Amino acid sequence: MQFDLDEDRALLKSSTRELLDKESALSDARRVMEEEPEGFSRAFHGQLGQLGYLGLAVPEAEGGSGAGPLGLVAVLHEMGRVALPGPYLDLVCAGEALRRAENEEAARWLAALVAGEKLVLPAERESAEGVVPLPPRTRFARGRVKGRKSFVPYGASADALLVTCVEGLALVPRPEAGWSSRPLETLDHAQRFVEMELDAPGVLVAEEPRSDAVLAAASRLGCLGAAALLLGLAERCLELSVGYLTERKAFGVPIGSLQALQHRAADMLLRVESTRSAVYRAAWSEEHDPDRAPYLVAVAKVYAGESARLVCGETIQLFGGVGFTWEYDPHIYYKRVKTLEQRYGRTRDALEIALAHSGL
Amino acid sequence: MDLSFSPEHQRFRAEVRGWLAAHLERPWIEELRDPANGPDELFEIRRRWQARLHAAGYLGMDWPEAWGGRGATAVEKAILAEELFRTDAPPIPNVLGISLLGPALIHHGSEEQRQRFLPKMLAAEEIWCQGFSEPDAGSDLAALRTRAEPDGEHFRLTGQKVWTTFGPWADWIFALARTDPKDRHGGITFFLVPLHQDGIEVRPIRQVTGEGEFGEVFFDGALARREHVVGQLGEGWRIAMTVLAYERGAMSLAYPAQYDRYLADLVDGVRANGTFERPDVRETLARLVVENEVLRANGLRNLATLASGRAPGPEASTEKIFWSEYARRLSDAALDLLGPEAQLRCRSPHARPHMDWAYEALWSRAGTIYAGSSEIQRNIIAKRVLKLPTD
Repeated sequence: MQFDLDEDRALLKSSTRELLDKESALSDARRVMEEEPEGFSRAFHGQLGQLGYLGLAVPEAEGGSGAGPLGLVAVLHEMGRVALPGPYLDLVCAGEALRRAENEEAARWLAALVAGEKLVLPAERESAEGVVPLPPRTRFARGRVKGRKSFVPYGASADALLVTCVEGLALVPRPEAGWSSRPLETLDHAQRFVEMELDAPGVLVAEEPRSDAVLAAASRLGCLGAAALLLGLAERCLELSVGYLTERKAFGVPIGSLQALQHRAADMLLRVESTRSAVYRAAWSEEHDPDRAPYLVAVAKVYAGESARLVCGETIQLFGGVGFTWEYDPHIYYKRVKTLEQRYGRTRDALEIALAHSGL
Repeated sequence: MDLSFSPEHQRFRAEVRGWLAAHLERPWIEELRDPANGPDELFEIRRRWQARLHAAGYLGMDWPEAWGGRGATAVEKAILAEELFRTDAPPIPNVLGISLLGPALIHHGSEEQRQRFLPKMLAAEEIWCQGFSEPDAGSDLAALRTRAEPDGEHFRLTGQKVWTTFGPWADWIFALARTDPKDRHGGITFFLVPLHQDGIEVRPIRQVTGEGEFGEVFFDGALARREHVVGQLGEGWRIAMTVLAYERGAMSLAYPAQYDRYLADLVDGVRANGTFERPDVRETLARLVVENEVLRANGLRNLATLASGRAPGPEASTEKIFWSEYARRLSDAALDLLGPEAQLRCRSPHARPHMDWAYEALWSRAGTIYAGSSEIQRNIIAKRVLKLPTD
């Protein structure tokens, strides 16, 4: 038995940390959030493509880098630590759907996505209403996709959308006139969501009901990936908290010597370490214990979401007044956590999956 | 990364399962339910069960063979504990002797002490209780005041110990006593003391569950032989603190296996009372399932770390808080979801066949106190793992 990553993937993780420290540190996340209308850096995205990061979950035989779910989780863990802005996980999910679609057009777009040349983003939800996306009303007919999509991540930047329709899953390249989209102002200032009116040529890459299986595979990978991001966000918040508790003085002592705060930090450690155990075990099961993977991924997502919310929320509290300022970093983490908990398999739905797969 | 069990481990598990199927006559809950079993009968059942486990080579598994062990790995030990908890086997009476005193003797005792005490401890021929806590020295153990004064070939002990599990049935006590009143930590010595002597009185303490497994031990000039000091004079604190670390990993899989069994009973009950499809009930159950699975993930990680020859990581320091606080939530939920039937003790008419939830609901309040309270565990994490400032 061995909990540590194998050599290749440990190297992938450490080199990802170096890359992010150098090219996309948290200060950069802040700059992008405040100044970049697209919500991410095109240059860094291109670099991710060149380095093979966009094909981590795609097998080598299909043009990816074949790092598997464990490699993907290791990378997302690092991306969480710097609260990397941008559509990385959405692209991974779209890539998984394109791969599972087993369609020539989809394969061409997958290759461009993996190379970092094209952004293909999923468009599933049709309105802000409904805790889970309601069944789509968007139609695919005679080579055209027509409908309305909401909460599309980074939709305005997309080169193509993967659109859920009544008829299945359709790929819609950006029309020559561009997208008709309207930005949504949401809780996390660092993410970009738009609602879109679609009336454009497209290709049905997976027909109903086969499209359900395609989407389910993509959404499980998203669920695992979100859990890994949540781990990184929580882990980094705990480090920020321990640093602040050690430096900040009140009543003539470092506040980290106060037992009330020590105990809260201890609970945060319990959450972070337990999340680490659950997330890496879930990723490992995707490779070695596929029957149990749906269960273990749901378990990891539930636990990671609630733990990261607790840990990052406590970070704001431990920082006190400055924790509520724009200038300090905890809010960047907290906002990401709050949205990730609700996306890629929100906690309540993942709970139901966990119970249904528990064997009880 | 590899969280699977090797073929050797799987063979070992199959062997244990086969042995349990042949030798475990009935689960512990059934012994508890049997009106013919009073406290002494229950204790004898535990003693006999321990003797059978020992005869099969399943106790002191990681000890050297010279003292009755088999040199087993941490993973095998954890698998055995998991199977014992999964099948609800009787808890063994010398559990504290084997988990705490055994390693203390192996690492710090004399060869004579090992030969004299270890075999009988394993065979349950001598029952041991632990004499660490005192009325004024619980979480602050180093405040202990029981004193030991030299008297020829002996030391004479005077003072009082509490929370001595199985004290009323024990033959020996391993006790910390003060040999130097001035040195808080360095003035504590580790003694082995026979309980059946003048100068010792053992009184049972009735617990909130109604049972009386605990005791108080009063020393009034009780004799301990000089050769029954473990280690050197003044080494008691260090020895006591180090033995606590030897058991790490042993229960990594056992608690989740036990809670699997509890959860199975809870879900059976909820199905039977017709509320399993209620969303609020499902949410409660799902959260309990998730947490237990995360507890198991921590356990697997802990074992994998030990198996690869490394010191336990930070997840090991959270294990006690996690399982003990989870156990409270689990039994709270059972009382909530099962209604009055969960309040029935196992001998009551209409009691559930596989669980005594009322007992668990009460007993779970002890788990967060004994063996280092949740608060002490959090202090330890803050200081040793997070390295937060002391002042």
